[in-house]
Amino acid sequence: MALWVDKYRPRELSKLDYHKEQADNLRNLCKQSDFPHLMFYGPSGAGKKTRIMCLLREMYGAGVERLRNETMTFTTPSNRKVEIMTVSSNYHLEVNPSDAGMYDRTVVIDLIKQVAQTQQIDINGQRDFKVIVISEGDELTKDAQHALRRTMEKYMATCRIILSVNSTSRIIPAIRSRCLGIRVAAPNVTDMTAVLQSTCKREGLVLPPELATRVVDKSERNLRRALLMLEAAKVQQYPFTAQQEIPELDWQVYLRETANQIVSEQTPAKLEKIRDRLYELLSQGVPPNLIFRGLVEQLVNNCDMSIKAKTLEFATQYEHRMQNGAKHIFHLEAFVAQFMNIYKKFLSELVMTDDF
Amino acid sequence: MDQYPDENEEFELQYQDEMEMLEDMEVQHEQDVFAEAPSTSRQAAEQRAVAGLKDVSRFGNSTLCSPQLSQISFGNSQMETEAAGGGGQVNRRLFGTPRGLMAGRGCSTPMQRMAVIKEGQTVDADVQADAAFGDAGYVLNAAAEQLQEVGLRGTSKRRLERDLFGDIDDLYHESYEDPMVKKARTEEQRDNEAIDRILELRRKLRETSNTVRHDDVSRLKALHDFKMKNLSYNIPSWPFLALQRSDLERLYVRYHSADYENRQLEQLSVRGDQLGSLLGEAKQQVWQQANELVLRRLAPATQLPIAPAAAPSVDQGRLWVDKYKPRKYMDLLSDEMTNRSLLYWLKMWDKVVFGKVFHTKQEQQTSNVGVSAAQQLNSFNKRTGKFESNGGWRQRKWRQALNTNVDELGRPMQKVALLCGPPGLGKTTLAHTIARHAGYNVREINASDDRSPEAFKLALENGTQMSSVLNEEKRPNCIVLDEIDGAPRQSIEYLVKFVSDGIYSKAKSKGAKPQHNVLRRPIICICNDIYDPALRPLRQIAFVVNFPPIDAARLAERLVQIARKEHLKTDFGSLIALAEKSGNDVRSCISSMQFFNVQKHSLTLQDVLNNNLGQKDRHQGLFDVWGAVFRIQRPKKQLQQISAEEPAQVTMTNMSVATRVRNVLDVVHSSGDYERLTQGVYENYLQQKMPDPNFNGICEALQWFCFTDTLQQQISRQQIYSVYPYLQFGFVVWHLLFATLAWPKIAFPTRGFEFSQASTNQRNIFQSLRKGVNSAAQGVGQGHVLLLDTVPLLKRILSPQLRSVAVQLLSQKEQYDLRHTIQVMVDLGITFVQVKSAEGQYVFQTEPDLDTLCAFTGFSGLTLPYFSRQLIAREVELERIRRAAPKAAAEAANETAKAKSKSKLQAPAAPPRLPNHLQTLKPKQITDSNAPKQQLTKDFFGRVTHKAAATATGEEAKTDAIVKSPIWYRYKEGFNNAVRKDVQLTELL
Repeated sequence: MALWVDKYRPRELSKLDYHKEQADNLRNLCKQSDFPHLMFYGPSGAGKKTRIMCLLREMYGAGVERLRNETMTFTTPSNRKVEIMTVSSNYHLEVNPSDAGMYDRTVVIDLIKQVAQTQQIDINGQRDFKVIVISEGDELTKDAQHALRRTMEKYMATCRIILSVNSTSRIIPAIRSRCLGIRVAAPNVTDMTAVLQSTCKREGLVLPPELATRVVDKSERNLRRALLMLEAAKVQQYPFTAQQEIPELDWQVYLRETANQIVSEQTPAKLEKIRDRLYELLSQGVPPNLIFRGLVEQLVNNCDMSIKAKTLEFATQYEHRMQNGAKHIFHLEAFVAQFMNIYKKFLSELVMTDDF
Repeated sequence: MDQYPDENEEFELQYQDEMEMLEDMEVQHEQDVFAEAPSTSRQAAEQRAVAGLKDVSRFGNSTLCSPQLSQISFGNSQMETEAAGGGGQVNRRLFGTPRGLMAGRGCSTPMQRMAVIKEGQTVDADVQADAAFGDAGYVLNAAAEQLQEVGLRGTSKRRLERDLFGDIDDLYHESYEDPMVKKARTEEQRDNEAIDRILELRRKLRETSNTVRHDDVSRLKALHDFKMKNLSYNIPSWPFLALQRSDLERLYVRYHSADYENRQLEQLSVRGDQLGSLLGEAKQQVWQQANELVLRRLAPATQLPIAPAAAPSVDQGRLWVDKYKPRKYMDLLSDEMTNRSLLYWLKMWDKVVFGKVFHTKQEQQTSNVGVSAAQQLNSFNKRTGKFESNGGWRQRKWRQALNTNVDELGRPMQKVALLCGPPGLGKTTLAHTIARHAGYNVREINASDDRSPEAFKLALENGTQMSSVLNEEKRPNCIVLDEIDGAPRQSIEYLVKFVSDGIYSKAKSKGAKPQHNVLRRPIICICNDIYDPALRPLRQIAFVVNFPPIDAARLAERLVQIARKEHLKTDFGSLIALAEKSGNDVRSCISSMQFFNVQKHSLTLQDVLNNNLGQKDRHQGLFDVWGAVFRIQRPKKQLQQISAEEPAQVTMTNMSVATRVRNVLDVVHSSGDYERLTQGVYENYLQQKMPDPNFNGICEALQWFCFTDTLQQQISRQQIYSVYPYLQFGFVVWHLLFATLAWPKIAFPTRGFEFSQASTNQRNIFQSLRKGVNSAAQGVGQGHVLLLDTVPLLKRILSPQLRSVAVQLLSQKEQYDLRHTIQVMVDLGITFVQVKSAEGQYVFQTEPDLDTLCAFTGFSGLTLPYFSRQLIAREVELERIRRAAPKAAAEAANETAKAKSKSKLQAPAAPPRLPNHLQTLKPKQITDSNAPKQQLTKDFFGRVTHKAAATATGEEAKTDAIVKSPIWYRYKEGFNNAVRKDVQLTELL
């Protein structure tokens, strides 16, 4: 528990730093006997998982924190072995089915159903149901989600499911309606600076307020990222200064450079170089939709007002197609080429109007 | 004419080795013909080399040269000279064509003119004269054939055997020189000899022709007179028909009455004895044939008939493929170099098989270095007009594949020849022909035979060690293993073993030594697919002969010959089309021809193009398909467009979009592997030259890539195969967008594969990282969050700046950082592991490898120096132990407590914790306690013995003193003979 994100993570609902009202509501929820399925949604780094863990602790007590890692193997119908890592206590099971990729349906059918079916043995436990926490629930394929919906109803007596998702838009309505949605918004800047300051205080460090705001800015209001950045900054240079360099994420920098290259030159040769860079990003595991988003944000920032709308239009079009395809590189490159096309047209028009 | 030196040169080069081989081997009865053919051919070639001298001609020997010949061979310069040689200058003046007129398709013109003559007059002077003076009926036919052949030669590079050798076989009687002597000579000497011989031959020829012609002088004179009387350049006084020669000069031919002609003919028949027989019934025949010929000339030029329809061939039942199988080396259609290399290899066996010395080139060169140097100098390439330092054909490519070295037994190093190539090229035929040619008896084992390892073994041993008794000629065997790619793997392995080191056969009688059988006979293997996995061992030891596809024109020539013999009406163009359509498959071409013949068809271009005959489903490589996508085909002549009712017409393919689209679809469809093809196009399309400054085309192309991808996804995820056909249309769009006339540069797509490799690698590292994360450290996130947010920053967090001093000397901040780093690493299950890098240096690498996770070019990973890594690695290990220790102790305590509470009575008191070394010695104590039991063994008579027990206890007593002391040592083999001491873990930490 050396990383600050773990070290100073609130363990109880009462100790949460922000969204306190929500914390109260959650505590009330635990007191009542009819605990529903829950769906925590909000951007990454907002504190969804923290709240889930606090909630579980509220329900089951400290026993929830005795965690163990387990790796389970499943055989898919096509005879492929799929490995899934789970974290579990006596009272709950946390699983990330998206690890199985397109075989997540097997995970849902095999693992979750199996756990849901079994009755809680420990009579001393406060509750007669277990909790299954599904993280990254929006990565579940439609098939898996459909497999989940019946399970949720059928085994209501023995288990509750808590989904942790970034966006509810990718959850099928059937599941959405079965869950109580709890929105965990990203903390605002003041909340975040407060968290950063209190962390530094507990570490015995002095954090200049300017640096704190800068870190919050850089982290895009992602508290996990902010804490990690601050910690990395501390390793690089301790007595903090207001203007000190804040470490950035490599892939973001790389993506930004790629976008800048697109704007700087529009030739087939350049397109090929861009393709190499995109390949590298993809092979490093950066999800294609993040690449798309990073590119679009950067390109829209860099281009003229008149083609911004068009760029966004094409971006949505290609992003949507990419979701239906398997080779993301095609769609990314198609978007890049399309942007080059628009941009070139714009430039040539600019030259023409200048002439007149 | 000006190309003669080239041809001569080429011919010399091609056949001299052949001749050597032929000369130095024992020529058997049936090979006499071959043996003579090349030698005469050589002579012919030499004669041709000096074609300026008109005294030698092919017809001058066997037939009398007559003016009609010259007339028929209008437009053929070679024939003209030959005929002129016999006929004399008069004919040339009268009928000779302008020299500039080259051989070729123009030959139909004079024929038509002859027809005009025929129409204009009942009795045509010229044709009649032909008939009258033609000394043999076949002359006309022969001439027509010659015409055909020459016409063909105009289109194809390869000369026919007939052209080279003529019909002079009967003339040449000279015996050969001693081959041994001859071989030792240099090229220069050989050249000189050749010249001498040519001169001598020429003289002889002159003599013979003179003797023949002795009484012909008068005849020729009469002929001349006759012509002078009947032909004129000026407007004559007698009745005439005006004609225009091809050089636009007017000619006047005299009209005669039929009576006069008959009288003239009689006169002629009276005059010459040798002509007498011709002018009777033979004359009628000739006349008829001439008429037929002329009539046929009038037929449309596209349907150029080759031979008059004659009586159907006797052996209808026989397949032409069999009938026209090459029987001689010279008949072989396959590539000359291929034949030659195989023959060379086969001749290298001569020493073992026939006991004759086969001179390899190397031996020759080492034996006379000086001469070889001269040879080098003499290798004057007449085509380029330059001296070539690298020698002639011997240095060509196939020589490198063929190892010309021989082993200690005189066998070639590569003991098996492996012929490979697509079907229908004549591999089997080549193997058989060459083996027979080289004097072997062919034993073929093919797929129809039993090829189980046992049967194979038997056949191999029999074939190589025995010779047939029943054959009159005691020829050694040569084994031809046909279709070997279908043989079982064990058989091939056996073959390889057999070939490489021989087989020890079992001793036949007791006591005899096992016989070591060494392969002493050549083995030729034939396969279609050389890359068959079963053939891999064979491929490494074999002399691999790749069969290049046969030239379409050359194949068509052969087809023309067959057509002529079978009286099948066809023309060269359609045969070429047939050859190309069948992918130059000889067998399929000939079969199709027979098919048409049986139908009593004439084979026209339309037939060929309309029919599905002779089409093969050829496997096209990926590169061919990509080539088709990126390249606009040049228009071809053979294709055609047919409307429904109208007769088909042969046109140039218009390279309209429609044709191109169809073409691409065909190619892509036949290949089928859309996914890989798409990837190939994707990785190559940006390299193509394209006039696309605004990216419109690229955008369009990429739209189609996206579309294809979506379809693929639908198919693979949901098995919606109904969309499969749409996959191919992307290629059409890409073709239309990017295809050029230039030859495209296409690289094999590797990027996609590399990408998938890299991402799999990444995923594996990431998975191992996730597994290592302590269950309590949940804040680092899961899945993408861990990879994208935590890992990049973690690299910074794990890179504290430490001076390279001892731990105790570090500053407080450094100490803190170090401790922090270690804590984090232990939490996340990361360590440093010493590995040897590619350069041989030892480096500390994170395990799992953080450096390669989320590493982009141009970004540094962990910036820790070696020293820090080493330090951290040690500290991390210690920290791990420290963390594990209390847990283990607690667990152990728990265990004992549980055990106690569960069964106090049953369990014996927990043994006092012994020092380590005593624990290791425990087994001995146990044996001690067990000893009395074990000692109760009985001896042979059933008495209990106590001896061993006594000795055992004695030994125990001795060792006890050592064991009890706190420090002890014990010798162990190896390096592990250190002094042992009790050390608590806590003391080390």
